[in-house]
Parts: sequence; structure tokens; C-alpha cells
Amino acid sequence: MKPSINFLARSSWKGPHLVPLPIAQAIKTGQPIRTNARSCTIIPQFVGLKFQVHNGKEYVQLDITDEMVGNKLGEFVPTRKKFTYKFSKN
Amino acid sequence: MKANALVKIGLSQRIFGVGPQVAEKLCSKVGIYPQMRMSELTESQILSINKELNNLTIEGQLKQKINENIQLKRSIGTIAGMRHASGLPVRGQKTQNNSSTARKLNHLNRHV
Repeated sequence: MKPSINFLARSSWKGPHLVPLPIAQAIKTGQPIRTNARSCTIIPQFVGLKFQVHNGKEYVQLDITDEMVGNKLGEFVPTRKKFTYKFSKN
Repeated sequence: MKANALVKIGLSQRIFGVGPQVAEKLCSKVGIYPQMRMSELTESQILSINKELNNLTIEGQLKQKINENIQLKRSIGTIAGMRHASGLPVRGQKTQNNSSTARKLNHLNRHV
């Protein structure tokens, strides 16, 4: 995690951008948290939890590891398909 | 370095990681007046500049640090890391044409 970069972008008195999520429930049951909040910052409490983050079409499974702390949830789930050329018959 | 160059400019052109701002700060810390040329430096001033440079992360160390930061992004699976690996712009620029700077620079081993 690099705090300096986060502080450059955002006033420090605001703290990280967080969204109310059912974390306590997820720790108990171990079920993935389904969310549309891609802009939510990953905080140390998220480590080890499972998330299902929306990519605009469907929910993509994401396991949070130690190094991801400080990034946003949406940074790990691309919203665009990679272009691949498809051969047509004619 | 060019003997004729100003100290500030000579440092910033030759050392990776020292730009004009860092060079100016360094000069004022050591006590070199702004119009001083490279050839006019005395031994003790050169030594003190070297001493200050040792405290900064420059050249090989800085290049290694940049590489590590890019590789960390790739290994944890961010979009930015993927864009680096595929040599495309990282910050949402268009890719229909151009993006030649990204093709030139964006690699996992940016500084070999």
C-alpha cells in the first residue's frame, strides 16, 4: 500500500472512500459479498474475504489478498472484453 | 558532463531521477550559487554533492523500484498491470490509433 499516492488524490481528513458492506456477516458465514461499489477502497479488514464485484454485466469473483490493500475493488475487475478477431465464413 | 553547463542543468540532464527541481534544491543545500558552472566546482563541493546524492534513490535503484512497482501491479491482477503487460495506455487514453508512447514504454520490465 502506498499512502502518499492516495493522499495526493484525496484530502486526508476524509479518509478512504468506503461504502457500507455486510462485512461482519461475511466473516461469520464465509459467503461472498455481492456489490456494485467498484469505487470502494480495500481496507485491511477485507483481507481473506470473497467479493463479487459488478463489471457492468455480471458479478466477478474476487479473493482479497494482503497486497491489494489500498486499491479499489474495481481495479481488479475489467469492464471491457479484449478484442479478438473472429474468422467469418465468407 | 559538459564542463560549460550550469551545475543545476548538468546534474538534471545526466542523472536519472534528478530533475531541475531536485537539482536546484540540492545546489541550495550544498551552497552553490545559481550561475555556477560545472568547471568552477571545487573538490570539496563535488564531494558534498556526492554525499547528498547518496541519500536519494537514483539511477539503478530508482529504475529497479519502478520495475518492481509495475510487476506488483501485474502480480495482484489490476487492470493497470494488464495494460502494462500488453503495451497499451494505462489511464484510459484512446487506442484506435497512435498510443505510440505506450507501445514504446509500457512493459513489465520498463527499465532493463
